[in-house]
Amino acid sequence: MSHHDVSYLEPKGSFWQTVWSWVYTIDHKKIGVMYLTAVLLAFLLGGLFALAVRAELFTPYQTIVTETGETITKGEALRFIADRWVENGSTLTVNNVYNRFFTAHGAIMVFLFIIPAVPAALGNFFLPIMLGAKDVAFPRLNLMSWYIYVFGSLLAVYSLVNGGVETGWTFYTPYSTTTNWGSTTAMLLSAFILGFSSIFTGMNFIATVHKLRVPGMGWFDMPLFVWAIYATAIIQVLATPVLGITLLMLVFERTFQIGIFDPALGGDPVLYQHFFWFYSHPAVYIMILPGFGIASELLAVHCHKKIFGYRAIAFSSIAIAAISFIVWAHHMFTAQSVALNAIFSALTFLVAIPTAIKVFNWIATMYKASISINTPMMYAMYFLFCFTIGGLTGPPLATLASDIHLHDTYFVVAHFHYVMMGGTVLAFIGGLHHWWPKMFGKMYWEPGAQLAGILVFVGFNVTFFTQFFLGTRGMPRRYATYIEELTTLHQISTIGSWILALGLFLHLFVFIHSLAAGKPAPKNPWGGLTFEWETESPPVEHNFPHEPVIVHGPYDYESVVPPHCDPAEYPVARPPAGGANGTNGTNGTNGTHHA
Amino acid sequence: MMLLEPISTLLATTSNPIKRAWDHLWFYGNTDASNFAAGSDAVFFFIFWVSAFFFVLLMVLMVIFAIKYRRVPGKSAPVSASHNTPLEIFWSVVPTILLAVMFFWGLIEYLPTRVAPGDAEEIQVVASQWRWDWVYDNGASPLNTEVIANMESPIFALPVNKPVKFVLSSLDVIHSFYIPGFRIKRDVMPNMYTQLWAEPTQVSHSWNEDTEEWQVVPEMARGDFDGFYLACTEYCGDQHSQMWGRVMVLSQGDYERWKTQQADTSGIPLVQLGGDLHKAKGCVACHSVDGSRGTGPTWQGIWGKTHTYVGGGSGIVDENYIRESILEPAANIVEGYPNQMVSYQGQLTDRELYAIVKYIQSLSDNAEDVAAAEAESEAEMAAKQEAAESEGGADGDAAGGGE
Repeated sequence: MSHHDVSYLEPKGSFWQTVWSWVYTIDHKKIGVMYLTAVLLAFLLGGLFALAVRAELFTPYQTIVTETGETITKGEALRFIADRWVENGSTLTVNNVYNRFFTAHGAIMVFLFIIPAVPAALGNFFLPIMLGAKDVAFPRLNLMSWYIYVFGSLLAVYSLVNGGVETGWTFYTPYSTTTNWGSTTAMLLSAFILGFSSIFTGMNFIATVHKLRVPGMGWFDMPLFVWAIYATAIIQVLATPVLGITLLMLVFERTFQIGIFDPALGGDPVLYQHFFWFYSHPAVYIMILPGFGIASELLAVHCHKKIFGYRAIAFSSIAIAAISFIVWAHHMFTAQSVALNAIFSALTFLVAIPTAIKVFNWIATMYKASISINTPMMYAMYFLFCFTIGGLTGPPLATLASDIHLHDTYFVVAHFHYVMMGGTVLAFIGGLHHWWPKMFGKMYWEPGAQLAGILVFVGFNVTFFTQFFLGTRGMPRRYATYIEELTTLHQISTIGSWILALGLFLHLFVFIHSLAAGKPAPKNPWGGLTFEWETESPPVEHNFPHEPVIVHGPYDYESVVPPHCDPAEYPVARPPAGGANGTNGTNGTNGTHHA
Repeated sequence: MMLLEPISTLLATTSNPIKRAWDHLWFYGNTDASNFAAGSDAVFFFIFWVSAFFFVLLMVLMVIFAIKYRRVPGKSAPVSASHNTPLEIFWSVVPTILLAVMFFWGLIEYLPTRVAPGDAEEIQVVASQWRWDWVYDNGASPLNTEVIANMESPIFALPVNKPVKFVLSSLDVIHSFYIPGFRIKRDVMPNMYTQLWAEPTQVSHSWNEDTEEWQVVPEMARGDFDGFYLACTEYCGDQHSQMWGRVMVLSQGDYERWKTQQADTSGIPLVQLGGDLHKAKGCVACHSVDGSRGTGPTWQGIWGKTHTYVGGGSGIVDENYIRESILEPAANIVEGYPNQMVSYQGQLTDRELYAIVKYIQSLSDNAEDVAAAEAESEAEMAAKQEAAESEGGADGDAAGGGE
């Protein structure tokens, strides 16, 4: 058996040899699958914390005197955990447990899940294949970044178990340097270490895109997913070091009593906020740009049509990456001077323009298309729905007069969940269904996936749309309890979180069912034109049986019959001048062999 | 935007039930409560209607396309343009113009919020974990409290139609001063003063002569929570979610009466004053009086106890330990508790300090101590009254106020 015809998933000899072949692999596909498993575990863990947070918010605390004259406190859903969590010889308060849980939710979802989710899992797997390469530019660095991720994640989980962190994922000083210092330090170091994983992945992808495109593939022949991952990688490499430096300064300040941020030592707490958001705002685009890339792929492939405004979408990704570096201070409109606020409010609006252009292009792609209604396409539309709401609720927060009211309220919570979850996560789930047959060689149960998708969509909107009204009514974020008038809205939101969880668990079931009993996937189940649809499902070890040849653009549906597809099922609207049947024929191996 | 004209006209009529339901949905009915509310809301709703227009347009198109252009196997999508320069320029320029309007309008409404008029009354706001304290120009610092979010929270007052400037500072971490009804917010920093101002425009409470209590005016009575409140919006630790305050907006006359009431605590017996201070000064956030565990030791039965301190040593809880714990909290921390409390140095008068001592003493099971505490308190009251009588002046309704 040679590397050319064996699936990458094929076991290598004995059980332990197979395990070793994964542990020690430098195959970007195996690393991608390991990342996928890890980020899904992180998503599950972060999701459980979110459910606990929503459960606590189902009712506010209320102390009442019963008929027998006994005083009892109601509305403390997390009481049973607080009473069992003993630390320094006494139990925790419910507030304390809640604060640790919302911090855990935020930190896990941001650092362990959403930042690596698309680039490190799907990007790792598909970026080299989409470029026609055998692997990423630095396969060993890729493996190293995976182990750094594992180590950083374990440290993060350790910090939660050992003492817990209650600073919020933003670690604002001086609060963060005055509370639970041991576990907070562990969490800061974990974020620092995870940052290196992110930087290495980004460097690897930049080098891969520059150097390993198949001969003949120009920049504008690249799929838009690659453009999005490329723009993301630039931010990863340039912004993440700032976070690392900032977190280290925090650790140094506390350990060596050097006054940087803590006013008690002569520092300035707002300086910390500037440093932190100088990374963390670009990081928001590290989180969302890959989602944009997936959306472009889903729409093009399942609309069977050339994407509208390819260059506009590609350049807007780069524009967003660039602008993302000059808007950070819009997180501090209530903390800084009028002049800074005016400048950063104006700069923030600049991001809205390329973002709006993307949405218009995606919708225009659907015009006069040939749209397959399946799980990936439905997710593309859920993405458009939710991300558009997420995007449109940005301007009230960028506008000074309205942000002063909405800053740090549930309006902000709703806005970023519509962007992060409604944008990135919905795109990620859509992309997972889109590429699942290719990654694992199995189809999934389509009706089950569609039902799960509907539950996720409905649950998500019930959970988070409510929170816009909580925000305008003045409900501050990071609150364990609240005034009673807001109870109804909180209860609707919590019920939404249960529907959402039900949908996500159904997705998990569908995936497990697919691995266990799914039908074998064809090489090109959706009729896609990018390179991953030319190779086997799952791909062979070196990705392609023979080095692929670029003979058409990634979205030339008008003139090319998709590889491995029946021309009767996928006729072309505009056959190329020279040939009758598209240049790429009916299988992916008819190109010239360069080897 | 011409199409939206009828909608905005409809929503502008205050007696209109649709308008009321609309205001309730977004702001719990609190609109026009300060000089900044109308401007902030107008910008918000401009953005809202522009967004709603584009959202509906895009989603309707998406659904129509998804239905109309559904795939038929064996048929391909017709040839259509993959880009269109005039269209792309159009949909880049139009949002840019709208976004520019949002920015400038928002900036114009925002600028005045940062410059208080010269004649504004100044109120000093001191935030700490986890309480708000306001100090008025006559030295008054509110003593009355009500339960908000399950925590005794201070009741503050503001005059209607008069500008008030808040000068903010924090004793520990960053907090944020937020009165949602007024649409104002500003971070409270530990290393510098920050400030903001507003002019309340709706009276929320008035003095009821019969019950001798502050009551919600009928127009403001809308449900469980009437009128305005103050909340902390920068996460500040354990009881962040219970760091509230009630904000009463009073007529000018009522406001003066309230300030006078709050300024004079000399008529309140020591133990009672200690109990009021326990709630109003935020002691209650950490120290329970019913034996339940909080961030700090409970005060129930603490008098006369011997405690081991963090870092060695021990001592009995007596007048001097309590005094030290209030003024220099970090000096001797009871084992098993964090070093969390800020110093109250300069924030309490000698009488207030002693009132807290007496109050803690009164919470002890030791009957002798309790009796002694009460006797002392009464004796002090008698002495005070004598002094007042000999001066020939009465303290008026100083004991009044409260709920």
